[in-house]
Amino acid sequence: MADHRTFNWIILSPFLLLFCFLTLSPSSLTIVAKGKLTTTSDLPPRTRPIVIAVVPKSLDNPLFIDAKEAAELAARKQNVVLEWVAPFKVDPDAQVKVIEGLIWRKVDGIAISCSDPAKIRGVIAKAAAAGIKVVTMDADCPNSKRIFYCGTDNYKAGWACGEAMAKILTKKGWTAKKLNTAVLTGGIEADNLNERIRGFKDAVAAAQIKLNYKALLACNDDISTGAKVVEAYIKNHPETQVFYFAGGWAFLGPAESMPLYQEWCNHGGIAVSMDTAFSVIQAAQKGFAQALVGQDFRRMGELTVNYLVCAVKGLPIPDKFIDSGLERADPSNYDQLLKTKKPWDVK
Amino acid sequence: MKLISSSLRQIKIPQVKLNSLRSKFILSFIVLSIVPMILLAFFSYRIYLGILQSNVQSYSSEVLDRVERNMGIYLSDLERVLDLRNDYYNVQFIKLSLAGDIEGNTKFTSRLWENLNSYKQLKTDLRDVAITTLDGVTVSCYGVFHTDVSQNELFQTLINRTAKEDTLAIWGPHPDWLGGRVFTVGKAIRGDYDNFLGIMSIDVDVELLDQICKNIHLGKTGYVMLVDDSGQIIYHPKPEMVGKSLSFLIGKPTFKEWKQGFDTMLGPGNQVITVKTFTPANWEIIGLSNKVELTGEMQKITSLSLIIIFGTIAALTLVAVFLAGLLTKPLKELQHSMGQASENLNTNVEIRTNDEIGQLGDSFNQMLRRIRELMEQSLLEQKKLRRTEMIALQEQIKPHFIYNTLDLIIGLLETNKNEEVINMVEALGAFFRISLSHGQEFISIREEAEHVRNYLYIQRFRHGDKYDYTIDIQEEILDNKTLKLILQPLVENAIYHGVQELEGPGGLIIIKGYSMDGQVHFEVIDNGKGMSQTLVAEINCCLRGVSTVESGKKFFGLHNVHERIGLAFGKEYGVTIESKLDVGTTVMINLPLMGTQNDFATNFHSI
Repeated sequence: MADHRTFNWIILSPFLLLFCFLTLSPSSLTIVAKGKLTTTSDLPPRTRPIVIAVVPKSLDNPLFIDAKEAAELAARKQNVVLEWVAPFKVDPDAQVKVIEGLIWRKVDGIAISCSDPAKIRGVIAKAAAAGIKVVTMDADCPNSKRIFYCGTDNYKAGWACGEAMAKILTKKGWTAKKLNTAVLTGGIEADNLNERIRGFKDAVAAAQIKLNYKALLACNDDISTGAKVVEAYIKNHPETQVFYFAGGWAFLGPAESMPLYQEWCNHGGIAVSMDTAFSVIQAAQKGFAQALVGQDFRRMGELTVNYLVCAVKGLPIPDKFIDSGLERADPSNYDQLLKTKKPWDVK
Repeated sequence: MKLISSSLRQIKIPQVKLNSLRSKFILSFIVLSIVPMILLAFFSYRIYLGILQSNVQSYSSEVLDRVERNMGIYLSDLERVLDLRNDYYNVQFIKLSLAGDIEGNTKFTSRLWENLNSYKQLKTDLRDVAITTLDGVTVSCYGVFHTDVSQNELFQTLINRTAKEDTLAIWGPHPDWLGGRVFTVGKAIRGDYDNFLGIMSIDVDVELLDQICKNIHLGKTGYVMLVDDSGQIIYHPKPEMVGKSLSFLIGKPTFKEWKQGFDTMLGPGNQVITVKTFTPANWEIIGLSNKVELTGEMQKITSLSLIIIFGTIAALTLVAVFLAGLLTKPLKELQHSMGQASENLNTNVEIRTNDEIGQLGDSFNQMLRRIRELMEQSLLEQKKLRRTEMIALQEQIKPHFIYNTLDLIIGLLETNKNEEVINMVEALGAFFRISLSHGQEFISIREEAEHVRNYLYIQRFRHGDKYDYTIDIQEEILDNKTLKLILQPLVENAIYHGVQELEGPGGLIIIKGYSMDGQVHFEVIDNGKGMSQTLVAEINCCLRGVSTVESGKKFFGLHNVHERIGLAFGKEYGVTIESKLDVGTTVMINLPLMGTQNDFATNFHSI
């Protein structure tokens, strides 16, 4: 993770992509990696379009909608076929099966948002052994044979959340209090979410704010479960003062489904949440969160596809971590952000 | 060949004696019992086999109907889902997809994922529900991916149909991209002008076929399988058979040839094959029953029947043997009794029943009784006759001698020779006492010798010293019995036709008696005038019974003794005579060696 923070590849990536396009020709293919040039003119010419597949954790997570759209647009530009496949709900075993299906279909590249790294690691190795270029996005699978990870530095994202929380609490003058705090995460084992929580705690602690972490709630990345868990907790623990959402699951559904939480917010509850999806910002506008820190899924989708195509084509990849950047939101820019976002559900 | 034929001739085939009444009865009884039973068993077997086969075929057809019905119901449920294919969101997705509007299609994609997953949850066997556009973009429960429609049989089927052919199409078992085996049903999605936009399809796990078919058993090993219209097995209880050609299993050269013209047939390996076409998919539902099981059931029945038949035959045979024994035993006893009766008329048949055989036995007993009565009567009459003859013969002897002796005594009295008269009368008395013997026919040889001695005393007294006599009889036989008065007539002949004829004295009469070879022999020898051989031959002929009555009268004495011996002991005994003219005559008697008084009383009491 340290080297991820050292280089800002976001700045370099457009140039690298341009370089990839310019160096790609049917007759001669040159691979550039880490400053070394390798000529692969002896590779057999392709007879079918490149097919790459993106495998998010699930299809029912609207956070990936923007990523999908951006990825499809990028694929069209790259003249590759993009598939977007996943289990409908988060299910690591089903995700493994989907990836195995892609291996069976011999796609050229796969980008995976890992719902359980321990389970996905093996199938990544299997895909790599089959000659398929595998990368991860959104949720990484450390110590696997993926080529790179494209997404947010989750520790940084959590740190940003912590900074936002500290700013709000300082502004309210609650710095001297030890505040009862609850945390909602997607899955206890998810590395990316745990990194966010760790970053959040470190940032709050760095700001000399004392939070009493009373509960770590998990919703298994499910929207309705997220709302139910939060409602139930607030009902049983109205003394809660601070809520940190490591993901925006609870706000992706209708706000009317969380009356107790809404009442808690109205009575001064402080909440900071990850994710800046359309419905999350809408919820924040209603007071469900005082600040948001989001991943830039559009950028994540675009970068993932572009660099995965590079990998398939044997072109250089700038680093094993490609940062898709962060998006900060607070009441000052909610309206502006909503203009760039799309609702994921069809009303 | 000669060798073989001679060998065959040498082989002795045991001949079964079927000529006994018992054997005939048993055979008839068994044949009359077994033949109807075998005929009944044969026709019952044929009829039952036919009924069983018919039932099996009927059951198989019902089973196949049930499979078809279950599959039909399942497909109709899927068809109802597919009828939602023209939903607004589906059509919009296809249109936007075909238009390449990625941004516009995003929200429809999410909506379709939700809808399609909702459909998928309707049934547990559904692996995927998808919509595939004309250009191969597929949105399904697993996201969005591209399909090579040229390789998609369902797509090709539906795209080649007209708008009026808005029916369900089925793509037989094939692998889906998630590594499972599915069969796919689908319907075409058409636009506002019936233009083909794409298809909505549902992937169904082939496990469904297993669930429908696996619990259906035709007998113990019979089963149901499914075959697609190309003859490929799409479901078989043994997974390794799936995908293989039906001809691999059935053995027919082509699938079309195999399935033409029958609903039920007997296949290789004695399999009863029943076929039904599942029209929506043009699949063949094939039921295979093992005929061996069918015949196995029949074998049980056959075995039971055979046990009953053979048991009945055995029982009938025993009954036949018992009845035959019961019926023929009296006959055999009667036969045995008749056999005994041929040797001993004192036998009686034991009568146990009052039936015809009992009556026959009773009649036989009556016959035996009658025969015994007749024989006793005949024997009695014979004895009476013989006694009468005997008495008559003895009576013939007495007067002749008495007259002569009385004449002699009268002469002595006239000459006052009283002493001689006394001796003469004593001798005569002894003579008559032995002659009478209290009416007994048999006396001891001692008495017979005494009788002859008295006679010779009397006669010598009459004839003077013209001849002498000796009586030489073995001491051992003196107590043995003999027919009485057999020596006296011969001695009389020796006197009157022998020594009396001599011109001077010197005549000698020798009487010998001895036993030899179980017989008693008496010889009366005189040295009288003798006889010519012609006369001897005539006498012997008379004694053998070949002479005339005149001869009998002429040789009365000899004939009398000979006849009496013959009557008493049989024709092998009697008198023979040897004589030479001027030399003398020897008359020989042979008799059986009779016992003493005690023996005689035992052996000859009845005579």
